[in-house]
Amino acid sequence: MNEHPIKVVVAKPGLDGHDRGAKVVARALVEAGMEVVYLGLRQTPESIVAAAVEEDADAIGLSVLSGAHMPHFTKVKALMDTEGIGDRLLTGGGIIPTKDQETLSALGVGRLFGPGDDPSTIAEYIKERVYARRAAERN
Amino acid sequence: MAESMRSSRGPSLTPQLWERFLGGERRACAQVITKVENDPDAVPEIRDRLSGRLGRAIRIGITGPPGVGKSTLTSALARGLADGGNRVGIVAVDPSSPFTGGAFMGDRIRMDALVGDDRVFMRSLASRAGQGGLAPSTAGVADVLEAFGMDRILIETVGVGQAELDVMACADIVVLVLQPSTGDAIQSLKSGIIEAADVVVVNKADLPGVEMLLQSLRFAFSLGAGRPGTNATPILATSAQASEGIGELVAELESQASDLVDSGRHREMRRARLENEIRRAIQTHLWASLERAVGASAKIRRHAEELTLSGGSPYPFIRRACAATQVCQTKEEAWQ
Repeated sequence: MNEHPIKVVVAKPGLDGHDRGAKVVARALVEAGMEVVYLGLRQTPESIVAAAVEEDADAIGLSVLSGAHMPHFTKVKALMDTEGIGDRLLTGGGIIPTKDQETLSALGVGRLFGPGDDPSTIAEYIKERVYARRAAERN
Repeated sequence: MAESMRSSRGPSLTPQLWERFLGGERRACAQVITKVENDPDAVPEIRDRLSGRLGRAIRIGITGPPGVGKSTLTSALARGLADGGNRVGIVAVDPSSPFTGGAFMGDRIRMDALVGDDRVFMRSLASRAGQGGLAPSTAGVADVLEAFGMDRILIETVGVGQAELDVMACADIVVLVLQPSTGDAIQSLKSGIIEAADVVVVNKADLPGVEMLLQSLRFAFSLGAGRPGTNATPILATSAQASEGIGELVAELESQASDLVDSGRHREMRRARLENEIRRAIQTHLWASLERAVGASAKIRRHAEELTLSGGSPYPFIRRACAATQVCQTKEEAWQ
């Protein structure tokens, strides 16, 4: 099966003011052949999910370093469900304690990555999850 | 033909999807666009469904070199047009990497002001195989947006140089965006993109050098540098970031739009586009038949390899292939 490129919306929710990490990851996803819609800084959960709906994105990637990962990921996930894109992958990164990762995972949030993770690992993970969803839709 | 044109990728176009599309659900519109972008086999059915809902919208191309502020201007224009009572679709194209196929699309960063604005639907497209500043699916995506109820469709090209003119085939009105301090008057005398412009916008008019650029453009146009057959291409100065000059630009575009409709030129452009669409679809189909019948691409590659070594002319092969590929003449009535 010839897969069309994966589309990912990458954003930094909240007020924390630097997006180096998000840009590094976005570039790595482009290197991996993905089409990245980069929203940049100071996004609200509403603006992120609205963009993902219009773009029909396969995945949303959030970068959160402010410590406010719980409310951001929870709100985005809830909005994705109400807007009808709950089947799409929500992933991201930051400095997120294992306990919080487990809580978010139970809500349906995908794997979350930290400073030690190689960006290519993130690309591999997104590919695996998106291809699995597409295969399920075809059947 | 119906066999080969059935959708093969992803979920098919269900009646429910069309119901949601016609009911104005944004997610349904986005899903139909995805189909058009990724699944050539689904295009005929989609096109059939859209017919009867096309022909009214005005398509406005926004083109110009990288970094002149096309996205910011597009955002400001969308707002201006929406304030005038239009529903506005935006198709923003960014370049795909020819090496990885990936694309970094940043147009939304400049369109923050449109967040939450239900009068506007914005979609980013990677240029993929498109070489002329647009994605191959651009016109099809604009069709979907028009059928979804958009009155004005803004098509923002990748940052272009001098000769990427695909936008002319896709748009009713072409806006060429420039900024001060990018080349002297000689640049405006060259052929190409400048001849495609129905409106020239000098953006970032808060920067120094704006008067000089305006003067050299006026001079170039007075010598006939603009589109052949027109003598007065309007030149406007804007600062999209400061929302200056946007009202004037919206008024100019709306006046050109009603001229196009009243003069019948809009219909003429639609005819030309349809002609293109039909020709391209038939070419694609014929080529696919050749691929199936003789494996044309592989054969061509092999001949090219041999010719590279032998240094021979490609024409003996071309003549043989053409002579052996006669179009059946017997069913001309099907073309009526």
